Amino acid sequence: MAPAIALRGVAKRFPGYTALEDITLDIPAGRFLSIVGPSGCGKSTLLNMTAGLSRPSEGAIEIFGEELAGINRRASYMFQQEALLPWKTVRENIQLGLTFRGREGRAAAEQAAAWIHRVGLDGFAASYPYQLSGGMRKRVSMAQCWIVEPEMVLMDEPFAALDVHTRLRMQSEILALWTGSGKTVVFVTHDLEEAISLSDEVVVLSAGPASGMIGRYAVDLPRPRPLIDIKTEPRFVELYRAIWSDLRGEVLKSYERNRA
Amino acid sequence: MSETAPKRGPVLAWRIALGAAFLLAWQGGVNAKLLDKFFFSRPSDVIARVWMWIVSGTIWPHLAVTVTEALLSFTIGALLGIAGGFLLARLPWLAAVCDPYVKIANSLPRVVLAPIFLLWFGLGIWSKVALGVTVVFFIVFFNTYQGVREVDPVVLNNARMLGASERQLIRHVLIPSALTWIFSSLHVSIGFAIIAVVVGEYLGASKGIGYTIAQAEGVFDTTGVFAGMAILAAFVLLVGEGVSRLERWLLRWKPAAHGAGGDSRDNVV
Ligand SMILES: Nc1ncnc2c1ncn2[C@@H]1O[C@H](COP(=O)(O)OP(=O)(O)OP(=O)(O)O)[C@@H](O)[C@H]1O
Ligand SMILES: [Mg+2]
Repeated sequence: MAPAIALRGVAKRFPGYTALEDITLDIPAGRFLSIVGPSGCGKSTLLNMTAGLSRPSEGAIEIFGEELAGINRRASYMFQQEALLPWKTVRENIQLGLTFRGREGRAAAEQAAAWIHRVGLDGFAASYPYQLSGGMRKRVSMAQCWIVEPEMVLMDEPFAALDVHTRLRMQSEILALWTGSGKTVVFVTHDLEEAISLSDEVVVLSAGPASGMIGRYAVDLPRPRPLIDIKTEPRFVELYRAIWSDLRGEVLKSYERNRA
Repeated sequence: MSETAPKRGPVLAWRIALGAAFLLAWQGGVNAKLLDKFFFSRPSDVIARVWMWIVSGTIWPHLAVTVTEALLSFTIGALLGIAGGFLLARLPWLAAVCDPYVKIANSLPRVVLAPIFLLWFGLGIWSKVALGVTVVFFIVFFNTYQGVREVDPVVLNNARMLGASERQLIRHVLIPSALTWIFSSLHVSIGFAIIAVVVGEYLGASKGIGYTIAQAEGVFDTTGVFAGMAILAAFVLLVGEGVSRLERWLLRWKPAAHGAGGDSRDNVV
């Protein structure tokens, strides 16, 4: 079976700046893959291309074996930036994907209510985004993405704004949603612990310009994973050390470059 | 915004005080013969005249004509402006082609069009409506165009990723996003619509407030002129308040719209 996402020699050049160079990566259907890398290395750029919102300057992207042209209709995308519609309430925002598919009425409303509960926003259904905290808005975005039951979910640092407790809750929620769903998840984070504890595979990008993949690590920790305790397991620590030794050099490089 | 907005009560009191002081100064100035009554009339006379017009009923047919013209030009101009703004904002190629012509058309002083419209559309209401439309259209058009172009690209992309068709994008993203801009133009354009139709009436009509004012001027009846202006002002305030209410309701998702103070754009006209 063709991989859910196949990047074939993908490069992205902006005027005067090469963000990504020669990325080749197969992501089989059903895999939970994390991308880590220093700030500004091109993680969001990579997701944007996979979502079909921007074209690679070179190379091609295939979705289930078909070359991507235009929007990736089989994906949901949780943006790094604020992306809620400010003029719609929490309920309307969460239901938006259903509305666009012409699914309205009782069933859709019940589905939205279930999601509101799932992301812990009971009592905020009629609030507008400006009335929510940053973390609450992120949770609305998450529900908005998952309610449409996409075949693949692209998430760009979804939990960066959450406190430790809520973040843990959302992480287990994501794992619960994903487990057995067959969905492919591409998860961008700069929190290596988060990447390892959630994923099947972690990809490390090098510092820009012209970032490339410098490492791919299979995370062979058994599932289901106890998110709280997993960080102290020997195999986790071992993986963490290995990946961090790659990542540290890139983070330092990126830091030096930005200071220069 | 709302944190620094002044409290409503004191502001209202001071507003009334300022207006009253102005009227009293005017009245006192005329009574003390500092101002010539022939040129300046008097607030008490103006109020008496307005009252007389109202109870005798002579003003209603004129007001009805002016209101009809203003609302027609406001509605037609706004609809055309919104449609045009959307069209050009969504079709950059068309916008580039039309750009110089839009600028030329907008640079024409509207007053010089009035006689032409009189020739084309006659002395009735349509020549005034046409004049009003040319004014309202451009204000609304430019604001809508700007509003649609300023839509947050991330929000737009999010809606597209969630499966929005082009029509759904317009309805769920572009229109709500442009509404803020559209409303700020409506506040201004309602005032200009009234000015335009009154100018039209002034230059050639057989009915309307502008016609009434022109008649009063013809016989040096300053009281009649001011009374006509007072009625126009009341009408502008009334419609402006209506637009503000609609705006507050449609933009209820914006934090600023919930502020305690008055909307700063209320009375731009
Ligand atoms: N539209 C653009 N035009 C020019 N340069 C761009 C554009 N978008 C991104 N870049 C550049 O490409 C590089 C990668 O950006 P990107 O947003 O993908 O980084 P990132 O890995 O997501 O960073 P972060 O972790 O901080 O979110 C950056 O150096 C950025 O300056
Ligand atoms: Mg990013």
